[in-house]
Amino acid sequence: MKSRMAVVGVGQTSYKRAHTELSSADMIWEAAEKALDDAGMDISAVDAIVMGVAPDALAGENGVEKTAIFGAGKPYVRVNTGGVTGSSAAFAGASYVGSGRAKVSLVISLERMGQATTSQQVFNTIFDPVYEKDFPLTTITMAALRASMLMRVYGYSERDWAEIASRNYRNALKNPLAHIHKDLSPEDILASPLLAWPIHRFEACPMSEGACALVIAGESSVGDRVPAWLQGMASTSDAYAMGDRFHRPEGTLVDLLSLRRSAERAYADAGITDARKDIDVVELYSPFSSAEAMAYPALGFCAPEHGPRFVQEQFTDLSLPSFNPSGGPQAANPVSATAMVRIAEAALQVRGMAGERQVPGVRRAVATGQGGATQFSTVCVLGIERPD
Amino acid sequence: MPIYIEGVALEISFADARRNLSELIFDTVRASVDDSGREMDEIDSVVLAAHDLVDGRSLSSMVTAPAAGAYLRDEIRFSDDGAAAFAAAMTRLEAGDNRRSIVAAWGRSSEHDPDAFSRALFDPYMTRPLGLDEFVLSAMRAQLLLSSDGGVREAHERAVTRRRDAAGRNPRALKAGGFTSAPHFPLDTGDMPLWADITVSMVLSTEPTAIRVTGMGQSSEPYLFGDRPLRSIRSLSQAADRALAEAGTPGTAMDVAEVDGLTLIDEALGLEAVGLAPAGEGMLGLADDPRANPSGGGASGYSRPAMGLLRIAEAILQLRGQAGPVQLDGVRTALASGSSTVAGQTQTVIVLEAA
Repeated sequence: MKSRMAVVGVGQTSYKRAHTELSSADMIWEAAEKALDDAGMDISAVDAIVMGVAPDALAGENGVEKTAIFGAGKPYVRVNTGGVTGSSAAFAGASYVGSGRAKVSLVISLERMGQATTSQQVFNTIFDPVYEKDFPLTTITMAALRASMLMRVYGYSERDWAEIASRNYRNALKNPLAHIHKDLSPEDILASPLLAWPIHRFEACPMSEGACALVIAGESSVGDRVPAWLQGMASTSDAYAMGDRFHRPEGTLVDLLSLRRSAERAYADAGITDARKDIDVVELYSPFSSAEAMAYPALGFCAPEHGPRFVQEQFTDLSLPSFNPSGGPQAANPVSATAMVRIAEAALQVRGMAGERQVPGVRRAVATGQGGATQFSTVCVLGIERPD
Repeated sequence: MPIYIEGVALEISFADARRNLSELIFDTVRASVDDSGREMDEIDSVVLAAHDLVDGRSLSSMVTAPAAGAYLRDEIRFSDDGAAAFAAAMTRLEAGDNRRSIVAAWGRSSEHDPDAFSRALFDPYMTRPLGLDEFVLSAMRAQLLLSSDGGVREAHERAVTRRRDAAGRNPRALKAGGFTSAPHFPLDTGDMPLWADITVSMVLSTEPTAIRVTGMGQSSEPYLFGDRPLRSIRSLSQAADRALAEAGTPGTAMDVAEVDGLTLIDEALGLEAVGLAPAGEGMLGLADDPRANPSGGGASGYSRPAMGLLRIAEAILQLRGQAGPVQLDGVRTALASGSSTVAGQTQTVIVLEAA
C-alpha cells in the first residue's frame, strides 16, 4: 500500500434469514446511510461507489445493485468474486482512494439470498454442469472433503470442530446484528444432524440476508474521525480444480496457499512479523468451523501439525488473539457481504466501537475473505496506528 | 501516474464448437500477453469483467479466472462492463497496488439468451410484468430522435448503411453466424446489435509504451427510465467531461471515437455525449463523420459485458495503425466508451493517445 487511508464509517443491517419487509434498495440504503452517519458525512462527500453482489441468481433479479444507485452521477461499479465479494469491493474502493481519483469511497455489499427458495441449488451451479454433475459436489461436501483431510493429515477431531463452533456461537450472543443467537455447547453441536461427514449442521453457516457498508477515506479526509487505518491488503487467486491442489509442492488443498500468500503480503505492508503477538483480533471468513482451523497456519498462528493444539490453547492462553468476537460467519453468513462484514467488525474493534463484543485494548485486527472453491483469499490488516 | 497499453487482443466469433469458454478466454489473454512481449511472471494483477448469467454458471470466475492468468495472482472480477474493469485496473496501478495488469472481458451470446438476460434486469413485481427490456429505452429514444427535424431520418438511413459497411470491412468483425433480437418499434433490424461471442484482453502497465491513457471518467444514472433524460445520455456526458478534462482535450478534437451503445440510436446519442457531434447531430455524425465508430460499432458483434473493452481495443488498434481496412489516417488521439446494464446505467470513458 502506497497511500494512507482508513475506514471511518461502518454501517450494517441486521442479518437474518430474510428481510421480508425491505427491498434490495432499502437494504443497500440502510447500510450506506448508517456508514455515512458513522463517518459524519453525506453522499456529497463520496467520490466513488463500489457495490459487491455475488450470484445474481440468489436475488432472482439480474444486477440487483443497479436498482439502488446511491448518488447518481458518481462512478459506480460492481464486484462479484463469490465469497470474497465484500472484501474485493472494499479493496476496489481503496484503490480508487489510493489512486487519488477519490478522496472518499463508499463500498457496499448486499446479500439477498432470502429471495431464493433453493439457495443451495443456486450454489451448486458454481460447479461444472457436465463433468462434476455425477460427483455430489456442493459447497458442503467441498468443505467436508477438506475437513476430513485435516483430520487425517493433522489429527483434528470432530470435537475440535464442535469446540470452535461453540465458541463462535457464544461470541455471537453479544452481537445484536447476528443471525443466530443460540448458546450451543460442543455436545449440542455434535448431536446436531450430520450434513456431510464430518460436518454437523451447527458447524455450518446459516443462510443470511443483509447489507454492509464502509466509508474509506484518504488521509486528508480522515480529520477528527475515529479511524481504523488500513495497514495492509492483499488478494490471491488459486486454481479451480481441487485435484490440482492435492499434491503440488507449493501447498496442498488444506494448506490454503492463496490465504498464506495474501497474509504474507498484507503482513509485510503492515509490519507484522509475529502473528500471535502483533494481532489482537481476527475476524475470519470461516463458514464452517473446520475452515477456521484451516486458516490458522496460513495466517501464521501455528504450524499446520500444531493446529489441534492451537484450538485448545485458545481456551487457556489469554495472550492469543481473539477469534471472531462477532460470532463470525457461523452466526451470520450473508455471502456477498460476509467478507466485508469481517472488515467492518475488525474496524469496529480497532475503533473501540464494537459494543458488548468489544475486545479490550485492540491495536490491530485482521479480517479475511474466502471464496470460490476455497480458491480466492483476501487479508486485510487494520490498526490504530497510521502507516508509515 | 500515467498508464500505458502494452498488449491487446480480441476475437469475435460465434458458437465455435471446438473451444469452450475457458479456451476462448485463454486464447485471447495469451495473445494479448504475447503482444505485450512480457512473460507471465512480469504480470502481478488480473482484472476481469464477466457476468454469471452470461457465462451460464454462478461465480463463473472460479473457472474463467485461471484461464485468464489469475493463478496465484491478485485477481478481481467485476460484473460490470469491460471499460469499468479497465478503469478499475487503472486505479490499482495508479495506487501502486500492482505494476502490470491483465484486463479481460468476454461474453458468449451463442450460449445465453441476451433478451432473457435483459428482461431479468427488471424488478420482478413492478416492472418485469410490463415486458420491459433494455431495448425499450432505445426504442423510446428512437421515437423522439427520428421524429425530429433536420434530416435525421435521412441521416439514419445513411448511418445504418455506413455501420454495416464498416463492419463488413473490419476484419475482426463477425462474418458468419450471430443473431439479432426482434426490434421494438420504431427500431429496425439495422439499428440492432449483432449478438456474437466476444473475448477481449489487454495488458496495462506503468512503464511507458507507444500508447498512453490520458483520461478516464465514470458516471452513473438512476435505475428507473422515468428518472433519466430521453434525449441525451447524462452519465456518458459526465464521464466524457471528466475523462476529457483529465486529458486536456475537447471531444471535438479526437481523431477517432469508439462509442458503445446497445443500438445505433444509442451510439448516435453517445456521439453527442462524448462531444464528437453537437447536440442533435449525433446521427449525422454516425452517417458522415469517418471518426465515428470506424469499427462498425454494434454491427461488428455485440455481447455484454465485453463491449467497453472491445471499443477500447479498437481505439488502440487505430492508434497503433493496426486497424486494417478500417484504419484512419494520422490517428494520434482516441476516445472509447463502455456502458453497463441497465440500459447504460453506468458509463466509462477512456481517452488515449499515441506517443
